[in-house]
Amino acid sequence: MMPRLLGAGCAAVVAGLLALVPVPGLATAPDLAALAATPRWQSLMHVNPGATLRGIGSSYVDDADFFLSDQGKRSAVAELRASVAALRAPGSAARCRFPARYRFLAEALGWQEAAPLAHCEDYLQWREQMPTGQLVLVFPAAYLNSPSSMFGHTLLRLDAKPNPDSVWLSKAINFGAQAGAADNSFFYIWRGLAGGYPGQFSVTAYAEKIRDYAFVENRDMWEYALNLDADEMDWVVRHLWELRGINFDYYFFDENCSYRLLELVKVGRPTAPLSQELRFAELPVNTVRALDDAGLVADRRYRPSKAREVAARAARLDPAARALAVALRDDPSVAATPAFENRPSEQRRRIAELAYRALRLEHREGARNPDVAADSLALLRIVQRNAAPPSAPVSAPPAPESGHDTQMASMGAGRQDGRDFLSLGYRLTYHDLFDPLPGFLPGAAIEGLNINLRFDEVDGASLETLDLINIRSLAPRDAFTQPISWFVHTGLEQAPVADSERALGGFIQGGPGASWRVGDLLPYVFGVARLESVSGVDPAMALGAGAEAGIVYQANVVQWGVHARWLKFTPHFSRLRTGAVVNVPVSRDNALRGECGRETWDSDAVNSCSVSFRHFFD
Amino acid sequence: MKKLIIGAAILGSSMSAGAVAPGGPGCGWGNLLFEGSSGLPAHLLATIVNGTSGNATFGMTSGTNGCDTSGTLTYSGQSLLAMNGVLEEVAQDMAVGHGEALTALTVAMEIEPADRAHFNTTMHDHFGQIFPREDVSAAEVMQRINTVMAGDARLSRYVS
Repeated sequence: MMPRLLGAGCAAVVAGLLALVPVPGLATAPDLAALAATPRWQSLMHVNPGATLRGIGSSYVDDADFFLSDQGKRSAVAELRASVAALRAPGSAARCRFPARYRFLAEALGWQEAAPLAHCEDYLQWREQMPTGQLVLVFPAAYLNSPSSMFGHTLLRLDAKPNPDSVWLSKAINFGAQAGAADNSFFYIWRGLAGGYPGQFSVTAYAEKIRDYAFVENRDMWEYALNLDADEMDWVVRHLWELRGINFDYYFFDENCSYRLLELVKVGRPTAPLSQELRFAELPVNTVRALDDAGLVADRRYRPSKAREVAARAARLDPAARALAVALRDDPSVAATPAFENRPSEQRRRIAELAYRALRLEHREGARNPDVAADSLALLRIVQRNAAPPSAPVSAPPAPESGHDTQMASMGAGRQDGRDFLSLGYRLTYHDLFDPLPGFLPGAAIEGLNINLRFDEVDGASLETLDLINIRSLAPRDAFTQPISWFVHTGLEQAPVADSERALGGFIQGGPGASWRVGDLLPYVFGVARLESVSGVDPAMALGAGAEAGIVYQANVVQWGVHARWLKFTPHFSRLRTGAVVNVPVSRDNALRGECGRETWDSDAVNSCSVSFRHFFD
Repeated sequence: MKKLIIGAAILGSSMSAGAVAPGGPGCGWGNLLFEGSSGLPAHLLATIVNGTSGNATFGMTSGTNGCDTSGTLTYSGQSLLAMNGVLEEVAQDMAVGHGEALTALTVAMEIEPADRAHFNTTMHDHFGQIFPREDVSAAEVMQRINTVMAGDARLSRYVS
């Protein structure tokens, strides 16, 4: 594969092809230390440049099979020296394991052979099957009713060429933790957080990923074509082979799939500014932004999920046609009624297709059901015999990377029962129901580590709230889907106690619910169970149950909401909390928020109002 | 050989286990139309570590889906149809007359771009013949597609 040596006199002319030509100084007296410090070798070794806190200067790879030198993990020079020794000889077996390293050394040291990897049958056969026309970053967005999937996932795709005829035939490159079947759920989570799992790269058919994400999990997919050229792609694919079966410890927060994929892209273009800065809590959306900022993103495509298809197609029909689609879904023989037959062919097609898609959506999980299968085919036959021009594609919502940044700091002032206070807040991650909506899934909220401090003249500084986790999912119900909304919320907050006083207490609360969509309004109801423990209050634990109802309005220019929650506790007291929030974005990463709340219990009440400025950043 | 390699490139790994069909046990050719998709990952867990259980596959060809490749059917098209869920997508696209799954099938079967629209129309027109029952299998559908193609002047040359 290596081009033959060009005449020495051509070196100046082909300066752009420097990589193909031996550098005389290096060829005679190679400065291996300088060579090992080059960005390409550092990338091939996965040396931590200081982007994460563990093992700065060492390789991220946690697998002896990756290193030819005992010191390889800690010393890129030692590994380079060992690689030179192992890869220099023609026919060396090590070349077949490290084709990217071979290319690097051959170019740097002027090794010349006509077919240096001809003996590497496995590699060449694998390589033949790898499409190398285009590299694409794929981001499956959050799925409905699962706000935690905002932390989601990224993968890479290899296409045969730019704008491939069919991406179903492309390859997916995935990095994920390898969990044993015997692992139980607790260890799965713990080891995921603490780094106990080996992570590995895998290569599968992209069609499977479309099925997993867009069809089964109902996640919209965003596909970002990268502008790596053929030569850069060659580096990536060669190096991918070097990572076959190689373990990296998987850390949920920083050394996760998104980070590993950035490293792989960097092997193709080592000079791209991708992982210089410290990256804590690498989120998929930030991976997209990093690639975009580095000038690597050439194109963006949107692939709607099956659920999104159904919603969009339903929205295009009039209410009577929608009702007909529901009836048809439940009983395909409705197609023989005049209500259906009297409509024009195109409408019959649209209604039947919606009915079919809704039926498949409803039964996408679980074992095959013969009755559903029979109805499905009956509906497809109706689709087939009613002609219509092609449907318009589902229009794309704002892209995830157009959304606000992931961390947030706030500053505000307010008044509670006649006393003024100042407030300071910080939230590690990520989005609540009243934050600016573009780029986020409507009705989905997830907050992790959200701290609010108050300062007033009487009490000084005090902790107002500390949310460890606050997840809310308002998944609207309609004729086609009836999801269950839910929320879970745990942390510390000032809870009301006797004599109009408040005291810090820990709590966990949550419950199932239902919500609906009326234009941009989302009315909802929840059942609520709450366990709390407030300092200085007897008994130490109080268990409450009750209900919450509210309305959330989410639009691009303003978000607002009102809510009321009533709870009855076992030691015979009850509590009613009502409130209103309004949020006005002033730019992508800045917003003004006003909030008022009233909390009543027994015969006491606390009233407060505040305004704050919220700034998002990374 | 070329055809075989292209076909191999679209082999998947998570074929429905246990289906016995032409092609051998463990191969997805026995998948029925409207096969359910079982084994959804536990969402939160899968989200946290993006986990996969079992061995990481690496896009290798031999034996990835356990399909015996010696059949007379078009290898590449067959492999695509044998993947979980693809048969259903192909059925939908044929009923509609176009779509990504149908395009993938034409590319996998090496149907030239100039003939793809004609292929789509022909498949749409013969939908009832290709999907005669709701419990038709992937192998049967492939056979029926080949039969329809063999009877078509422009498409017969793609059927060996």
